[in-house]
Amino acid sequence: MAAPTVKVARGWWGLAFGVRRAVLRLPGLTLVRWSRYGPEYQDPQIDKEYYRKPLAQLTEEETYERELRKTQVIKAAPATKTSSVFEDPMISKFTNMMMKGGNKVLARSLMTQTLEAVKRKQFEKYHAASAEEQATIERNPYTIFHQALKNCEPVIGLVPILKGGHFYQVPVPLADRRRRFLAMKWMIAECREKKPRRMLMPEKLSQELLEAFYSRGPVIKRKHDMHKMAEANRALAHYRWW
Amino acid sequence: MLKGMTRLVSRVHKLDPGRFLHSGTQASQCLVAHLNNQVPNESPRAISRTLENDPAKHGEQHVGQHYSISVQELKTVFPHGLPPRFVMQVKTFNEACLMVRKPALELLHYLKNTNFAHPAVRYILYGEKGTGKTLSLCHIIHFCAKQDWLILHIPDAHLWVKNCRDLLQSTYNKQRFDQPLEASIWLKNFKTANERFLSQIKVQDKYVWNKRESTEKGSPLAEVVEQGIMRVRNATDAVGIVLKELKRQSSLGIFRLLVAVDGVNALWGRTTLKREDKSLIAPEELALIYNLRKMVKNDWQGGAIVLTVSQTGSLFKPRKAYLPQELLGKEGFDTLDPFIPILVSNYNPKEFEGCIQYYLENSWLQHEKAHTEEGKKELLFLSNRNPGLLERLCAYL
Repeated sequence: MAAPTVKVARGWWGLAFGVRRAVLRLPGLTLVRWSRYGPEYQDPQIDKEYYRKPLAQLTEEETYERELRKTQVIKAAPATKTSSVFEDPMISKFTNMMMKGGNKVLARSLMTQTLEAVKRKQFEKYHAASAEEQATIERNPYTIFHQALKNCEPVIGLVPILKGGHFYQVPVPLADRRRRFLAMKWMIAECREKKPRRMLMPEKLSQELLEAFYSRGPVIKRKHDMHKMAEANRALAHYRWW
Repeated sequence: MLKGMTRLVSRVHKLDPGRFLHSGTQASQCLVAHLNNQVPNESPRAISRTLENDPAKHGEQHVGQHYSISVQELKTVFPHGLPPRFVMQVKTFNEACLMVRKPALELLHYLKNTNFAHPAVRYILYGEKGTGKTLSLCHIIHFCAKQDWLILHIPDAHLWVKNCRDLLQSTYNKQRFDQPLEASIWLKNFKTANERFLSQIKVQDKYVWNKRESTEKGSPLAEVVEQGIMRVRNATDAVGIVLKELKRQSSLGIFRLLVAVDGVNALWGRTTLKREDKSLIAPEELALIYNLRKMVKNDWQGGAIVLTVSQTGSLFKPRKAYLPQELLGKEGFDTLDPFIPILVSNYNPKEFEGCIQYYLENSWLQHEKAHTEEGKKELLFLSNRNPGLLERLCAYL
């Protein structure tokens, strides 16, 4: 009994109140991406409008909520979440996925250059087009980005399921976040691998985003390939148990 | 009341024909609706454009407003010399609009009142990065081109002291070095900008290029320029001859000369060019720089010298340095010493509003939130009213 108590004593030393001790130390299990915050920690409220509301105008629930938050412990806001009006969570996520080796400055500059390239290309098309076509040309790079990624999201995905000693690719409905992740992942992979040697990333990305916006191009093709594989394997659908 | 009337008139005149050409019926309906909505609540919206396209007539009332330069003028007056981001903006918007600002107006006032019998006055535009020194210089050049001056515009002197692939030993003076590529490119652009003068100015000396070719005394300067463009080996010497002749003949009164150099601190800085034995070359050993230094001295009459000092593109200067003393060094400052410094600073609130209004009119700010007051406040905060930063911010919004 001496050994576990010594371990417990050593573990408690120097930890702040509320931070979960990493208890589940099983062999072969590394604690990566698990939050060190306990369950009592609340998410920070970043929205400026929430705090700008004058106290007189708050309803009863809102006043109660504000009083409650005064007693709760709140997590630290991540450095990437700002209260800027121009912030877009999807763009932030995409930038993080493009980042290599923690070089956020480079990833962010590539993202902004991509948006600028998309905008300039669309402006060129706008000025070259006739009056009727000008109404259809979308010049906002953010709508193009969102629409392109939405067009690239697969509806159904494949999951390897082990049955009888073999792995079968079983068609499975995907959660929203998994679909968004796959769309972004495919877009970035396509731009990295199939890029001509001297072409820079913003140019290639802007090209791919515009093609995906018009529902053509290699990323859309990959989505269709995924759908076709799922359709082909639909006999295995009953292997799914959830 | 008159001010209100002029504002109303200039609002109506905002529908200049160029915009109708590439905006269709729907856009014109939007414009009409825009005008109708504007007339009742005029005061909060800033005016961003002016119809006065002649720089000579720009005055205090035009500060913060954009005036446009036609595409043909752009090709003749600015074959080189516009900042690359501005060139991209011109291509995107299909129009070239410069903002009228106080430093440029001050310089225009001085230039309008120059006494051409006195030696040429030197003006130095200085300021922090991105405040608009190069574009102010371009405004001055446009004014001088409209007034029919001869423009000697070196777009970026820093390009002549770094990254030169081929350095030849000069044929004229064994100690110096030639830069054929840079010289020939500059001669081509000089020719485009000043075609009409080249046939009028006659060379006053005989110049022998090699055993077979020479330029006789009294032949037009165009021949020298042609020789420099065709025989790239002699391009640097051709540039030297052009500079010498122009300096000699400017006091005669046939033409007025404007010497405009962007990044003049390159002439007295250090170079990154090396000889074959890897020893560094000093700037005075480059023939182009040597001749340009003679041009920037104020021992000639009949024109003006407008210079810019910039840290962007400079070699071995700290990033925060922007004052002429810091960037020119002791030697450069002493050579340029009696000069008129003109500070170019960030936008004032009126100019900032004008710039945002210009971008909104060209629908450059596509983000929905950029049109709101919150968005404008954020742009103000992020850019600190610095023109360069604001342009980069608005590019991706």
